[in-house]
Amino acid sequence: MKRRQFIKNTAGAALSSSLFPYILPSGIINSSMASPLADHVVFVLFAGGVRQQESVLMRYLAGSQNENVEGNILYNMLNGAPPETKIAYGQDDTENDLVGHIPIDALLQTPLESQGTLFPEVRYAKGGTGHFGGLLTGVSGNYSSVDVGGLQKRPAAPTIFEYLRKHAGFKATDTWYVGLGTSGSRPLLNHSLHPDYGRRYAGNFIAPTVTFGSPGQNHFMNFKNYHETDEWNKALEIRNFLNQSFSKEGFEIPHLYNTDSEDNSIKSFVKSIFAKNGNIFLPPVNDNQDLKVIGYTLELLHWFKPKVTVVDLSNVDVCHGNFTGYLKNMHRADHGIGFLWREIQKIPGMAGNTAMIVMPEHGRDLEPNSIQDDNDWYAYDHSGGNSRRIFTLMVGAGIDAGLRVGGEGNPVGDAADVVPTIADIFGIKQTVYDKGLIDPNARSLFDRL
Amino acid sequence: MNMQIFTKLCFLFIVVLGLTACQEDIYEVYEINSVEVLPVNAQKNKAKTDAQYVSILYTNFFQVPIGPNKLLEALDAIRSIGDKQISYDIIVSKYLNQSPDLPTKEEMYADPETFVYDTYKRFLTRQPTEAELAWMLNYITSNPSLAPDIVYLAFATSNEHYYY
Repeated sequence: MKRRQFIKNTAGAALSSSLFPYILPSGIINSSMASPLADHVVFVLFAGGVRQQESVLMRYLAGSQNENVEGNILYNMLNGAPPETKIAYGQDDTENDLVGHIPIDALLQTPLESQGTLFPEVRYAKGGTGHFGGLLTGVSGNYSSVDVGGLQKRPAAPTIFEYLRKHAGFKATDTWYVGLGTSGSRPLLNHSLHPDYGRRYAGNFIAPTVTFGSPGQNHFMNFKNYHETDEWNKALEIRNFLNQSFSKEGFEIPHLYNTDSEDNSIKSFVKSIFAKNGNIFLPPVNDNQDLKVIGYTLELLHWFKPKVTVVDLSNVDVCHGNFTGYLKNMHRADHGIGFLWREIQKIPGMAGNTAMIVMPEHGRDLEPNSIQDDNDWYAYDHSGGNSRRIFTLMVGAGIDAGLRVGGEGNPVGDAADVVPTIADIFGIKQTVYDKGLIDPNARSLFDRL
Repeated sequence: MNMQIFTKLCFLFIVVLGLTACQEDIYEVYEINSVEVLPVNAQKNKAKTDAQYVSILYTNFFQVPIGPNKLLEALDAIRSIGDKQISYDIIVSKYLNQSPDLPTKEEMYADPETFVYDTYKRFLTRQPTEAELAWMLNYITSNPSLAPDIVYLAFATSNEHYYY
């Protein structure tokens, strides 16, 4: 091809792609999609109810236990020096019998706060501050889901997975919810009951510590992946025949519309993780469930390179009865986030074009309950006004570095903002707004800068 | 013929005519109520719970009921994967691998009709229709490499098996 012809063709292609609407894989034409800011988003719901005092305010024991020790125990995420005394959040010093006395080394040379944008004072504005309410709000951008939802129920409002699958044309394996476990409503957070969305547009869900833990080892491991043989086609032919003989509208095993090739990929992924026999991408310190979930999430990112991945961490919730454990698990969650971000930068296809959002599902009370741990430190629940205070940290492709928006006396942002923010990153913000199914106050965080 | 005889004959004629005349036919109309013809599996409209599905599956493959702890563990495993068709495919495949009670390929090909009847009864708790039987027999006989576990996998993970 001659140079002039090449330039003509290229210019023509560029012009037509900017003038004509996007045609989604499903065949739907979406004329309102803007160019994406990043190709991948990882959203971490961090990490089971976190107080501002021990996180962004960096007050360590000063804000909770009448001990005059301040400092930053989340130094992969936030700028600030760690506490100098009364170290109890790290690894145990078994030789000297000192619990949590050895802080975990920082994994990132530059904390994420400096690499991205921090909204240090965000509001969880409505409804009760319960874990599942927080998770529901995080994935649906709507507090009313909390009232209609509750335990063992799916969200009433569509989730970010459904918006992206319906309006951005994402495949099922482009969208994942990685849950800490299967308790409560976690396995139900991958799609809503909304009649215009629902299972047809669901994200995939996996609770890897269960899938690859004892339940999976006893009931899944060593399964034969018929996909890898000619036999699978025969099984499918017979099953299709049987299903045609039982074709009644809606009467089917509740699948998530993974294509046959996606179905195969998921089974192969499960088989491959079993084959690793625990040798997965674990963080250097991996002594709690959250960190194992981070490890499995990295395996999943390597395998599927999803467009959007939601991960929830929850070990911090020991704070109801063990403040020392709360500090230790928060420190570990920070370690996990640092590791996750560092390793994402090594994944071909995701490095350099992934955005990560970190937000606690809710905060914790200002006043303690009456339970004291081995250090005589008081524990904290989550029901009062202080539990409505959270932060949101964004980093990566399309996100400004070194920006801090709002502060303790000037809250900026809402727990429901993440859904329109992710929609904004993938170019469907206006469509999501127009549907009117997110909280009326929810806005893309890019619009709050 | 005098008048008296003539009258008697006429009377007799009328009597005979009356006795031998045609009778009015009474037509009785027998009607039937209209009945909607439904497929043999139409009454299956309730989805099994995961617990029902696993319990039935386990008993089917191992011929013993699943213990409560094992059941809870199986339910947890199923819930850990969002796409239920995939988690069912996996658990059925796993159980098929371990099941001591599968017919052999030789048994299936020795008497495919009995195999089909037994399989429908075993998984779908009904007999196949003539059309189903014909399709299955044709499929089995035209696929000499087909193994019984493939047929079982298809039946155990079919939509009809999920309903009762």
